Amino acid sequence: MFYQAIVFLPLLGAIAAGLFSLRQQNSAAIAVSVSGVVISFILSLFAFAHVAMGGNTEIVSVARWINSGTFEANWQLRFDTLTAVMLIVVTGVSSCVHIYSVGYMHHDKAIARFMAYLSLFTFAMLMLVTADNLVQLFFGWEGVGVASYLLIGFWYHKESAHTAAMKAFVVNRVGDFGFVLGILAIFTLTGSVSFDAIFADTASYQNAVITFSGISLPALEVVSILLFIGAMGKSAQLGLHTWLPDAMEGPTPVSALIHAATMVTAGVFLVCRMSPIIEYAPIALDVITIVGASTAIFAATVGMTQFDIKRVIAYSTCSQLGYMFFAAGVSAYPAAMFHLTTHAFFKALLFLGAGSVIHALSDEQDLRNMGGIWRKVPVTYTMMWVGSLALAGFPFFAGFYSKDMILEAAYGAHTGVGMIAFWLGCAAALLTAFYSWRLLILAFHGQPRASAEVMSHVHESPNVMTLPLIPLALGAIFAGWAGYELFVGHDMAAFWGDSIFILPSHTAMEAAHHVPLWVKLLPIVLATSGVLGAYIAYVKMPHLPAKIASACGGFYDFLFNKWYFDELYDRIFVRPAVLFGGWLWRRGDKGTIDYFGPDGLSALVGRLSSRLVHIQTGYVYHYAFAMMIGVVVLLSWYFSGFGR
Amino acid sequence: MEFSQITISAALPEFILISLALVMVLIAAFAKQTETDGEGSIKLVRTLSLLGYFAAFLALFSVPDGRIVLFNELFAVNDLVIYMKGLILVGAFFASWLVSEQWGEGVDRPEFHLLVLMAVIGMLLMVSANNLISLYMALELQSLPLYVVAAMRTSSLKSSEAGLKYFLLGALSSGLLLYGASLVYGFSGSTNFEAIASSLSGGASVGMIVGMVFLLSGLAFKISAAPFHMWTPDVYEGAPTPVTALFAIVPKVAGMTLLMNVTYSAFGNITDQWMQILIALSVASMIVGATGAIMQQNIKRMLAYSSIAHMGYALAGLAAGTSEGASAVVIYMTTYVFMGAAAFGVIMTMRREGTPVEKISDLAGLSASHPLLAAAMMVVMFSMAGIPPLAGFFGKWYVFLAAVNAGLIPLAVIGVLTSVIGAFYYLRIIRLMYFEDSDAPLDDGASHQNRMILIISVGFILLFFFGIGTLSQEAVSIVSVYF
Amino acid sequence: MLSSVFFYLFAGICCLAGLMVVSSRNPVHSVLFLILAFFNAAGLFILLNAEFLAMLLVVVYVGAVAVLFLFVVMMLDINYSELREGFQKYRSLGLLIGAVLLVELFATFFEYSGNVKSLPSPGAVHNTKALGQVIYTDYIYLFQLAGLILLVAMIGAIALTLRKRSGVRKQVIADQNSRTRAETVKLAKVETGAGVKEAS
Repeated sequence: MFYQAIVFLPLLGAIAAGLFSLRQQNSAAIAVSVSGVVISFILSLFAFAHVAMGGNTEIVSVARWINSGTFEANWQLRFDTLTAVMLIVVTGVSSCVHIYSVGYMHHDKAIARFMAYLSLFTFAMLMLVTADNLVQLFFGWEGVGVASYLLIGFWYHKESAHTAAMKAFVVNRVGDFGFVLGILAIFTLTGSVSFDAIFADTASYQNAVITFSGISLPALEVVSILLFIGAMGKSAQLGLHTWLPDAMEGPTPVSALIHAATMVTAGVFLVCRMSPIIEYAPIALDVITIVGASTAIFAATVGMTQFDIKRVIAYSTCSQLGYMFFAAGVSAYPAAMFHLTTHAFFKALLFLGAGSVIHALSDEQDLRNMGGIWRKVPVTYTMMWVGSLALAGFPFFAGFYSKDMILEAAYGAHTGVGMIAFWLGCAAALLTAFYSWRLLILAFHGQPRASAEVMSHVHESPNVMTLPLIPLALGAIFAGWAGYELFVGHDMAAFWGDSIFILPSHTAMEAAHHVPLWVKLLPIVLATSGVLGAYIAYVKMPHLPAKIASACGGFYDFLFNKWYFDELYDRIFVRPAVLFGGWLWRRGDKGTIDYFGPDGLSALVGRLSSRLVHIQTGYVYHYAFAMMIGVVVLLSWYFSGFGR
Repeated sequence: MEFSQITISAALPEFILISLALVMVLIAAFAKQTETDGEGSIKLVRTLSLLGYFAAFLALFSVPDGRIVLFNELFAVNDLVIYMKGLILVGAFFASWLVSEQWGEGVDRPEFHLLVLMAVIGMLLMVSANNLISLYMALELQSLPLYVVAAMRTSSLKSSEAGLKYFLLGALSSGLLLYGASLVYGFSGSTNFEAIASSLSGGASVGMIVGMVFLLSGLAFKISAAPFHMWTPDVYEGAPTPVTALFAIVPKVAGMTLLMNVTYSAFGNITDQWMQILIALSVASMIVGATGAIMQQNIKRMLAYSSIAHMGYALAGLAAGTSEGASAVVIYMTTYVFMGAAAFGVIMTMRREGTPVEKISDLAGLSASHPLLAAAMMVVMFSMAGIPPLAGFFGKWYVFLAAVNAGLIPLAVIGVLTSVIGAFYYLRIIRLMYFEDSDAPLDDGASHQNRMILIISVGFILLFFFGIGTLSQEAVSIVSVYF
Repeated sequence: MLSSVFFYLFAGICCLAGLMVVSSRNPVHSVLFLILAFFNAAGLFILLNAEFLAMLLVVVYVGAVAVLFLFVVMMLDINYSELREGFQKYRSLGLLIGAVLLVELFATFFEYSGNVKSLPSPGAVHNTKALGQVIYTDYIYLFQLAGLILLVAMIGAIALTLRKRSGVRKQVIADQNSRTRAETVKLAKVETGAGVKEAS
């Protein structure tokens, strides 16, 4: 009951808030949704203590769901350490965001609907992390997709929000397609979708092959890569990342909750959850490492050039997710989960801080129109500093522990791809520090670039918006220090238990603790030089960035236009698809299917229908006659010998 | 024959309802004589009948498990029978609950509830029939009150016509059934189902098959399967709306169960033979139901065709002749009862300036004036059209699955095609409610019981998919008595 | 031998009478032919040693049902020739269906092998007594069911036909008997030439 409550309280909150929103009872809606999530968070703490600290794995049954033939999927909730960690992250950040939204959205008439969506999202996310089988995980997976669609497009009257929501949905479909294929492949391979059954004997499938149109491929590699494609879509990895920056059209609390702390990390969670399979797929692991590392550096380079405050943070998220993936790719799943946890705190903090800035500047999001407000918003300013320090990985902040752990693990893997990932990660660390301070300086320091009228309205956000930042800030400062031993240190094996599986021959986690000193120091040096670089470029010599930009010309444009990914996709996929669709519609649909199908059928049905109405005369003897004809026809069928 | 503990507990629901019916006869009669305005007595009678259904439902739990044969093997209960009795009682409860005391249309009399109660007794006995004679008697006990209530609105010519038509055609169908029964008796030497089944162990003679054709034709009339369906639209339209609701919700369940009993237990050895009849009936019903509804203007008439189509789908499951098919029918009938209750829950709130309206076009603009009611109707229509994940979808899904697994692929294909056609007129109602405006909105204020019924039945439809796993396993286990 | 002669006599007349019921132009004749058919059917029952059923048929069907039919037919004013026209239109199709059905039923009866056990065995017991022995014991269930059906029929008939009409004066004997002189007779002193003002 206790465990079910964690998952279903947010759902109840969402339903109640949705009903209240029909009657415009905003305060009631806020009260139920916030209390649902907060209670769920408190329960999660107990669950964490029992499951993760106590080392007990709980499987709680909810209902028998689909039993069809050999396909069996029961609705069960699985609480192991992996889930418990995610529970804390999801409900914790969600609680902060719920409370923050009360202030941030208070002027919006549809706040009740917003709270309902937020709670619905939380429920779906909890379904995802507590899933005991792949179908249920997929349910949560799609649930968060829907909630994300609703929230990105929350201001549906804005054309751009609308388009962004569609884009997020469609791009995610590509990943989901891979995911579904992966689930099907697992089902054909193992005959089950339940985790326990799948993981029971993965080693025995090592030599299994999947034959597809004559080509035999190693089954576990195929499965792993398909699942990773799903993860790429949700976690905005290079290639399927284009939706994430656009998703910033949603209200800022949404960006903090969904597009920084929780939903986008679902891909990382999936990879860790499926570690017993992926561990046996060396090629897939290499692919994950390469994609993760490329994303990390790609997003960091783009982040340097953007001017929308939220987009900068969005690219930073993309980049940090890349770190998590390449950590998973070198079998350092604990490090990935560790970074996931710390990142959730400081990235949510940064987003909510950015929201506070936007709020203070009357909904201004462009960095070029900010600056010089740091005295007026001291709390927000402090919070942004904390977040940035943690993000850049300065010593003793949360990011320091987790990001360094990842880089050390990549180095410690002693493989070719591991080294590539290490160097790309280091470069990204430098860029991260650079763009973080670029953001801080442009947003808070220098001459005010906003209009005088806007500046006169600049004010610190109300308590309801600043208070939720405090727990997040505490997390951003202390989470790394507090969690280090448990997540990746000496207590690692006991902490994770069976929830993560690492092949004994993959020693990156162990080797990470024994890397040369320069590997440990390098990230700090890089971060410091990044900060210095930003200081020089934006405070000491404010004309330098423009000069560099014009000097590099094409390269700058290349970065500024996000490596032309959107244009490329538009050219390769969108336009041909529109043309092809148009052709199909004219020739295929209208010309063939409609002509013979619906149009032809409806004409036939229409004729038949009027016939029937004609027969239905209302005379009893006609009816009786029809009955007798029926009997005689049935009898004749047997007498004529057909019935034998 | 002795009355033992078993007798009492196995037939307890029937005992309760019969005793109650006799008490109600007295109440109805004496309340009339003392001229206490009728008003009080109808309230009392209605409440009593609702309590009776409830008590009978509870009494079902006292029926011992397993197969029990009573009254000189004329009466049998087993798990399937108990489940279906429960379904009938739930449906009857809904149908009686829907009728408020002031409904009018001739049903605001104690006799209405009394006759409905009698019909329900008939249905329960019908479901338990284990002999051709008790089958026929129970069938008549069920039909006779229904003929009367269909004509209950004595001030309306249409209602009288409906009652008369139903009666005449019902008499014809009884004739067919009796003729068939006499042939079956003649060729098997017994009227007992088990004895008939054992006489068929070496295959069927021509006479048996002819008898079976007549017998099944008579039963097909009761579930309004085409081509024995002609009465349905006229009776549904002519009868007072609460009576139509009753017709739509309950008797079909009893008829379908009886059909299952007869085919699986009496003719269980010649499955190949009766399958063909059921396939023919199923195909005809699906086509007639789906196409006939399109042109209708009256919502009751449309639902009549819709129920013909539903029976076609259920028959498709029965025609599969497998345990899977039988369990699909159980699931289908379960969803059918709740969809019927929900649909009439909406229709019976449709009033304009106090008088009930029943044209489909009266639903126009319902979403604007009554958003919740329109939403409920939308759910029901989607469910009837078989849109996942609503209850109606699962009913169809299991039925078609059973048909396909039994090798009846053409039947399943026709079924899917006709559901597509059927979706047209269900969606038409949704379009009317949501995308068209009306000049004169309907009255406000659904009655309390209507609201409750809508909440229960629409909730059932919406949440059905949580229980489908349990229900489908339950269904397989309760039909296992026949396999 | 003699019994087969009578069997074919009764059966033949019964069939002919049945044919006449549907084909005669005068509805009153139809009902009379129906009565003839009932009598012959009763004769068939007697040949089967089922005197009780034979008597039942005569008493109930001839004595009550058919006579009721006769009254109804005579009281209703229905234009039968108009009805008949409708039948004419479908005569060919109807004949076809009827013929097919007839052939099929004949085919069925040639198959008959006769394995019905007679019930109950006549033996020494008179068949009315034999019926009485089982109807309240073995078949009490059906007997009670029949009772319920009759109850329903009675209630149904009353429910459909009994209705309260407003404005119709009905004689209530109890009211008449309970009237007292004081409430009905009123003494008034009438002056000559002035008349009575209040009539009530």
